[in-house]
Amino acid sequence: MTDLLVILVSAIFVNNFVLARFLGICPFLGVSKKVETALGMGMAVTFVMTVATVVTWFVQYFVLIPFGIEYLQTIAFILVIASLVQLVEMVIQKVSPVLYQSLGIFLPLITTNCAVLGLAVLNIQKDYTFLEGVVFSIGAALGFTLALVLFAGLRERLELCAIPQSFRGTAIALVTAGLLSLAFMGFAGLVKG
Amino acid sequence: MLAAILSLGCIGMIAAVALGFAAKKFAVEVDPRELAAMEVLPGANCGACGFPGCAGYAKALVAGTIDVNQCPPGGADVVAKLARILGVEAAAASPEFAVVLCQGDNRKAQLKYNYLGLEDCTAAQRIADGPKVCPGGCLGLGSCQRACPFDAIEMTAAGLAVINREKCTGCRKCVAVCPRQVIRMAPAEATVHVLCNSHDKGAVVRKYCQVGCIACQLCKKAAPDAYKIENMLATVVYEHHSEAAVAIAKCPTRCIRDFAEGYPDGSALLPADADKPHAA
Amino acid sequence: MKLKTFAGGIHPPDNKQWSSHKAIEDCPLPTEFVVPLAQHIGAPSVACVEIGQYVAKGQVIGTAKGFVSVPVHAPTSGEVVAIEYRPHSWGPSLPAIVIKPDGEDLWSTDLQPSDPDNLSTDDMIEKVRLAGVVGMGGAAFPAHVKMSPPPEKQVRTLIINGVECEPYLTADYRMMLEEPERILQGVGLLQTVFGAERVVIGIEANKPDAIALFEKHCAKTAFEVVSLHVKYPQGAEKQLIAAVTGKQVPSGGLPMDIGAAVHNVSTAAAVTDAIVHGRPLIERICTVTGPAIREPKNLRIRIGTLLSHLVEVCGGLAEEPGKIILGGPMMGFTQLEFNVPATKGTSGLLLLRMQDVDPRPEGPCIRCARCVQVCPIKLLPTTIAAYARRNLSAEAAEYCAMDCIECGSCSYVCPAAIPLVQAIRYGKAAILAKKRKSP
Repeated sequence: MTDLLVILVSAIFVNNFVLARFLGICPFLGVSKKVETALGMGMAVTFVMTVATVVTWFVQYFVLIPFGIEYLQTIAFILVIASLVQLVEMVIQKVSPVLYQSLGIFLPLITTNCAVLGLAVLNIQKDYTFLEGVVFSIGAALGFTLALVLFAGLRERLELCAIPQSFRGTAIALVTAGLLSLAFMGFAGLVKG
Repeated sequence: MLAAILSLGCIGMIAAVALGFAAKKFAVEVDPRELAAMEVLPGANCGACGFPGCAGYAKALVAGTIDVNQCPPGGADVVAKLARILGVEAAAASPEFAVVLCQGDNRKAQLKYNYLGLEDCTAAQRIADGPKVCPGGCLGLGSCQRACPFDAIEMTAAGLAVINREKCTGCRKCVAVCPRQVIRMAPAEATVHVLCNSHDKGAVVRKYCQVGCIACQLCKKAAPDAYKIENMLATVVYEHHSEAAVAIAKCPTRCIRDFAEGYPDGSALLPADADKPHAA
Repeated sequence: MKLKTFAGGIHPPDNKQWSSHKAIEDCPLPTEFVVPLAQHIGAPSVACVEIGQYVAKGQVIGTAKGFVSVPVHAPTSGEVVAIEYRPHSWGPSLPAIVIKPDGEDLWSTDLQPSDPDNLSTDDMIEKVRLAGVVGMGGAAFPAHVKMSPPPEKQVRTLIINGVECEPYLTADYRMMLEEPERILQGVGLLQTVFGAERVVIGIEANKPDAIALFEKHCAKTAFEVVSLHVKYPQGAEKQLIAAVTGKQVPSGGLPMDIGAAVHNVSTAAAVTDAIVHGRPLIERICTVTGPAIREPKNLRIRIGTLLSHLVEVCGGLAEEPGKIILGGPMMGFTQLEFNVPATKGTSGLLLLRMQDVDPRPEGPCIRCARCVQVCPIKLLPTTIAAYARRNLSAEAAEYCAMDCIECGSCSYVCPAAIPLVQAIRYGKAAILAKKRKSP
């Protein structure tokens, strides 16, 4: 039980996928202008991450390994992730057209989001059991959402500040992202390894 | 080898079938013409068409409730493309530019008081009707410049707004935001304008502005069809703009200017060439 | 013993020494009175006299329009010479009735005194309305409206505002020292009208003689005199209620929502005049002060007196003024010229020199949060102002821009000289405009 808690806390804070592992930077910078959009993106990615981890776990242990085709891991995983993202796109377009519009191109880009593929691959690499894998993916997704929402909140506040001309836009966003990442380093040592 | 092909193939098939079901269940009716229209529109979301953003205009176009020539920033180019997408005949609306009808910058026009506050024309206007003595002149605090989505407005060093005819798309955002209504729309071919917006009597205008219109009527005498004098202010009748240039030399306060010869003093903009096609 | 107070606030130098020791003087009548029809919050009065007509002092010259409005009366006897647009202290030119005094200064014979014991509450409120009484603290809100809360909102605590927290102004202070009986009679009448159980007279601790005098006068009554910690804006309604009762007026609410009502000491005196003596509101105390005037004074002025006359009466200008303010330096209105008339709400005329005005250009916000610390309503002025300037009125409304009382504490402390109150006002105007467009 403690192991599962450790995995969860580690995935959310200590080894945050965006701020410590530097995966998924594309939506991190692209969708974090407003908190609502960031939250929407976070939820979409949470769904994709958790379901993708489950499905890829099964694919790895029941298809790839038994048939000895582990070398097809990347392709098979991408296939799964792409299908899931298509599904999410369809659902969002139907349920919330506003969110669909505001996410724009970043919704289909979840397919190539290294955080999702990275999660799936890491899960296998760490030899997690099914339950551990699920907890790991939930933690990773929550951490991703947390990073996005925090950053969106910061950027909304930055909008109100008098930023020097040369720093406006992406420049100050990157500086802020670096500082946020630095802040999360404070969690290092919370969990061994 | 076979295992590889089969297993990936199977995963693919399962995914395809599942997605097929989902596509039916979560189908959203989107008119393909709407998407095509969105692609053709400039995407500036300026609202000149009267709809919330280009998406709103595209929707209305497909619904058939609006003409294809309602996007000024798009220009004739976009009108033609939209007409083709929707399968309709289209006549492009004649392009218009915005003009700031004032030359009274800090060197030429008197101030009522020293304004120390928000750099915003509407805010300044609320304080005793604005810092300029002239009730209709440009306040020079830059609200129009900030409102322009196309970066077409420049503020001169002496505090006057000047609109760049090369960049102006006629979206009218500046007209809406100006608290003194000193910005007006004029047809693109009309380059001669009376740069004054004050309806005060000539003697009064002379006191507070060196380049204000004093309604002396000399312009109307020189070109009777091209000018009309209403409420102590002369304006160019744009239908007869080609005849207006002769009156420029006659104006005693030099408040009539031809933008083809140059922008008002203090602007860094080069003279506009009225014959150049309007860029989309 | 710790004095009662409220959260936030600032301590500007009170500068009351210019005029606090000067007894009230009657201002000699000018040669022309310009009486604006709009002197109060609500619908302007409607002229009911004609050019050439003779009017007596206290005669109605403009009737009220609707409930939230009051009539206006002739400040002296004389002839109506014009009814036209004249420069007004609020900015634009507004309709005014111009009267040329005949020098007799005769009261109208229609005005009758009454015995308050024979009057019902409704009678008393009507007398206050007919006398054109408005809040004399400067806001000029029709007093009879405040005295008529809906029946479900019973006022249990009546607070009399003797705080006068604006720097430079000493009008209420001199009133308290020189006419305590007139004020207290009005307080008693107000208590009867409201049916309040508790009456508190709040005075700031920098007026110890006024406190002592009122404590003496109230010794045999049930009125409490409370000494308040010296801080701006203690005299603001919500802050006064918070200090005296410990309760907060809810956001978007009114004092009657928590069973309280606040009236200025001078308003109480005007209520006495209206009910007991049958006399309308045509005069008030105005402090003419500041480093740019030769002889600062507390003048008893009639409404409609031009500021130029007040300056003359006070010995003229000592030097070219840098700023002319009607009211106090924190919430007063800057004027461009002296040809505007004093109105029912003109508590002061402040003349500052050029060197007293700080023309620092605006700098960027450094997030020092001084404005947040001093805001008496506990808002985030810098955030509201930032949203307002970017025309994001929905976000500004979320941060409670409409609760701002525009006291000026934030602008006062800002080290970057950001015009916070102007920006917040701009935001409030945008929010109201949006509400009007789509309710």
